[in-house]
Amino acid sequence: MFYRLSGTYHTTYESDRKLWKIPADRWQVIAVLVLAVAAPFLVSPLYLGSYVLPWVIWSAAALSLTLLMGMAGQLHFGFAAVMAIGAYSSIHLVRFGVPFEIALILSGLIAAGIGTVFGAAALRVKGLYLVMATLAMQYLVDWVVVNVPAISGGAHATLRTPAVSFLFVDVSSLASRYWLALGWAVLLTLFFLNVKRTSFGRALVAIRDKDFAAAVIGVDPFRTKMMAFFTSSFMGGVTGAILAYCYYRAVTPEQFGFDVSIQLVAMVLVGGLGSVIGSYLGAGFVLLAPIFLTNFIAGMAGAGWIPVSQNFLSHLPLIIYGAMIIGFLLFEPLGLAKIYDNIRKYFLVWPFRHAKS
Amino acid sequence: MQHEPFDMAAAEALHPNWKRDDHLLAVLARNAAAHPAEIALRERDRGIWHEYTWADYLAGVTEFAAGLEAQGVGPGDIVLVIGDNRPNLYMAMLGICALRAIPSPAYSDAPSDELAAQMVRENIRTAIAEDQEQVDKLMEARERHAGLSLIVYDDPRGLQGREPDGVQGFDDIRAQGAARIKAEPGLAGDLVARASVHDVAVLMHSSGTTGAPKGIPLKHGHVLSGVRNAAAAGYFRQGETHMAYLPMAWVGDFIFSIGAGLELRFNVNIPEDQETAMHDLREIAPTLYFASPRAWSAMLTRVQVGMAETGGLKRRLYDFFMPKAMEAERARLDGKPGARPWRWLGELLVYGPLRDRLGLARVERAYTAGEAIGEDVFLWFRALGLNLRQFYGQTENCALAVAQKPEDISLTTVGRPFPGVEMQIDEHGEILLKGDNIFDGYFQNPKSTAETLVDGWLHTGDAGQIEPDGQLVVLGRVSEVVEKADGTRFIATYIENRLKFSPYIKDAAVIGKGREILTAIVCIDFQAVGQWAQETGVAYTSYAELSQAAPVYGLIEREIADVNAHLPHGLSVARFVNLHKEFDPDDGEVTRTRKLKRNVIDERYGPIIEALNAGDSQIDFKAQITYENGQTGSLDRLLRLADVKEAR
Repeated sequence: MFYRLSGTYHTTYESDRKLWKIPADRWQVIAVLVLAVAAPFLVSPLYLGSYVLPWVIWSAAALSLTLLMGMAGQLHFGFAAVMAIGAYSSIHLVRFGVPFEIALILSGLIAAGIGTVFGAAALRVKGLYLVMATLAMQYLVDWVVVNVPAISGGAHATLRTPAVSFLFVDVSSLASRYWLALGWAVLLTLFFLNVKRTSFGRALVAIRDKDFAAAVIGVDPFRTKMMAFFTSSFMGGVTGAILAYCYYRAVTPEQFGFDVSIQLVAMVLVGGLGSVIGSYLGAGFVLLAPIFLTNFIAGMAGAGWIPVSQNFLSHLPLIIYGAMIIGFLLFEPLGLAKIYDNIRKYFLVWPFRHAKS
Repeated sequence: MQHEPFDMAAAEALHPNWKRDDHLLAVLARNAAAHPAEIALRERDRGIWHEYTWADYLAGVTEFAAGLEAQGVGPGDIVLVIGDNRPNLYMAMLGICALRAIPSPAYSDAPSDELAAQMVRENIRTAIAEDQEQVDKLMEARERHAGLSLIVYDDPRGLQGREPDGVQGFDDIRAQGAARIKAEPGLAGDLVARASVHDVAVLMHSSGTTGAPKGIPLKHGHVLSGVRNAAAAGYFRQGETHMAYLPMAWVGDFIFSIGAGLELRFNVNIPEDQETAMHDLREIAPTLYFASPRAWSAMLTRVQVGMAETGGLKRRLYDFFMPKAMEAERARLDGKPGARPWRWLGELLVYGPLRDRLGLARVERAYTAGEAIGEDVFLWFRALGLNLRQFYGQTENCALAVAQKPEDISLTTVGRPFPGVEMQIDEHGEILLKGDNIFDGYFQNPKSTAETLVDGWLHTGDAGQIEPDGQLVVLGRVSEVVEKADGTRFIATYIENRLKFSPYIKDAAVIGKGREILTAIVCIDFQAVGQWAQETGVAYTSYAELSQAAPVYGLIEREIADVNAHLPHGLSVARFVNLHKEFDPDDGEVTRTRKLKRNVIDERYGPIIEALNAGDSQIDFKAQITYENGQTGSLDRLLRLADVKEAR
């Protein structure tokens, strides 16, 4: 309906490969970006700090994980550990006197290094066995963080993030922390969109579909899998650092526990494997749906519309939330991204049913 | 023998008002000087559009002309041009004009014996071909016409490096020309200045519905005055975006893509392939669009089939808004003010998206000509928001003679003459035209010329009448008026066109000369009837089987009965047969522009026609078929013959 394609032509292959070739798509992207940048002026600090900011950061985390899980097909159930490495490294580096910008990159590299070492297991094992290997990483990293006081400052210590500035701008106000996180999410998004179109991205997809077959067509499985773990862990590490500095501002080992890893996997699966928009939708759903459901049920109960016991009432949002996840995945196994895609295509071929007419 | 148009004194006496230097090349040079960096041509190749500026255009024309001259092409030579629309072929045509030689375009699907006949008639020694396929045909034709000494190809695929004797690449010729222009400083300017307004710009051909095609030379002056008349009437605007997808051998393409293209600085876009033309149309979204009534109707059929497959909200919106708009347009056609409430909403939900899907989103001037257009088709596109208009013209008058004004909405009339064109109807009811865009006589055919041009009036051969408001109504060919056994006069084409308005009927031949009743041979539209069959559960495997299905006969009978209801008494079609195949130019049943060749139909389908008139209910017909490779064979077909009930 609002997708108008006529008059869109290309005189070079470069312009034909543009990311958003259709004007309507371009306008949507611009509109979302403008809204995102203007969010500190549009929503109250409470909402910005407790809904929008974590959404943006967890979306970046989901993007990092979906590169590994969605594009390269390597399951990873210890991604929170990767983020923990990033978060702790960056705090210690900054305390050590390294500038914040460089500390971000270094913490990413440290996370990437450790993540790649565990990823090496992926060369030998696949599927559920890889899940076990990455779970091992989760527990090992947890154990090390908790039991090495030099890292965590003790089992029950809380490590405050030092005050920092990013590119000479002080990052302490809510808005500036939000913009930094948004900048990182946008950077990751652009990286992800472009990596899909590079030889590296195609190699990842080839490995996902069948690593023997990929090897036959000349993709080196060893190198590609290592690069997948390295890239994804780097992105996850920096996201962990951003999470620590922009959102938590004080880190404890529990913030990067096993349940966080599972949540990340849920974000990627509910959103849609290997999809950019799916990462945003999945993170939004996993993060915000329980909150809204709880508020909604509480509101309903307050009005006296749900005549159940108080004990059951506290579990009701979780029951509905679980049913919703199952429902979405039954309705569209390819996730929220596919639902978005179906809606987009419905309008793209408007008023016909398919593109052939 | 060469064409000798160089009796300049006589030519100038014919058109004293033409200025000698006012020719197409001068116009091209003017554009290149004033707007060198503006895009003149755009061609889609492997998915992307290659652009040529006016400066590139002029350079291509002069360099090719210089190269061609070095190959011995001189004034008066006739050069064959064959292929689908390509920038290089347009440049070649103008390059040929620059040498005062004459381009003679041929349809790209013409078989080699037609080409050989054309080359013998016009003593052609040089040919420009698009690709290997055309070169192969020309090589074959060369065996019968040894005079063909040079073939120039454009697309190097399959040819470059292993050219047969006498075959050279366009780029090689152009490179030779570029070298010459470099060596001789005055040559480029000289090439642009050699031509005269009295030179023949192109040698077109009549469609040859009866006998061999006649050559129709159009001079620079004819083309330019035709274009200027049309521009003065607001028919073209400066700088239109135009889609050059129609055959180069058709007069309209020369006038639109070269004549108007140069004079009004069009942006001419050339699709990748005939098959991708509709897709490429959407990419470019032209501002000016011409299509034959058949093509408009095919476009409508495509939409209708697409909508039939759609369901739910989309279908309901279409079913709500489209009939509303059609109704309003119908009221406007009847002269009543048609109110269109909710128009903006329909525009947003239905009309706009559909125009976008068809690639007509930016079309401001949409035209059709050639034959009558169906009421439903005409109204549908008008309802969509296109100001679809009809015009009337022939090759002999540069296709630009009479056209509807934006406010003249009418189905039956074709409008008023352009400024600079005079029109009258003679005592036999024939349309006569006079003006600077009317040609000066057929190529080496004084007899036909004398019959057609009398005292400067062009006898079009079309029967017509002028309405009280000055608009022209074209009835049909004067020569086609025939009588039934009882003396009732009718024009078969008129009835056939009305039959073809049905989406289910692709072609029809109405036979009744000297007969008691009118009978029709019908070719069903495979796409539309196929869709209908799917919906109604009629099983079929092929065109032939679908055409013979009993429910399809019922469908066609209803369609014919509808047409009969609007025909005068005694002119209704009483019996018909669904043919097992479509009419095909390769079988000689229709011309390349899809006009019926009645003598071929009468001869080939004689047994069917006799059986129809005899009242038989079926016939075992021995069908002649021609395969793509030229071999012939025959097949036995059992064809059903049917009555139309309530035929008067």
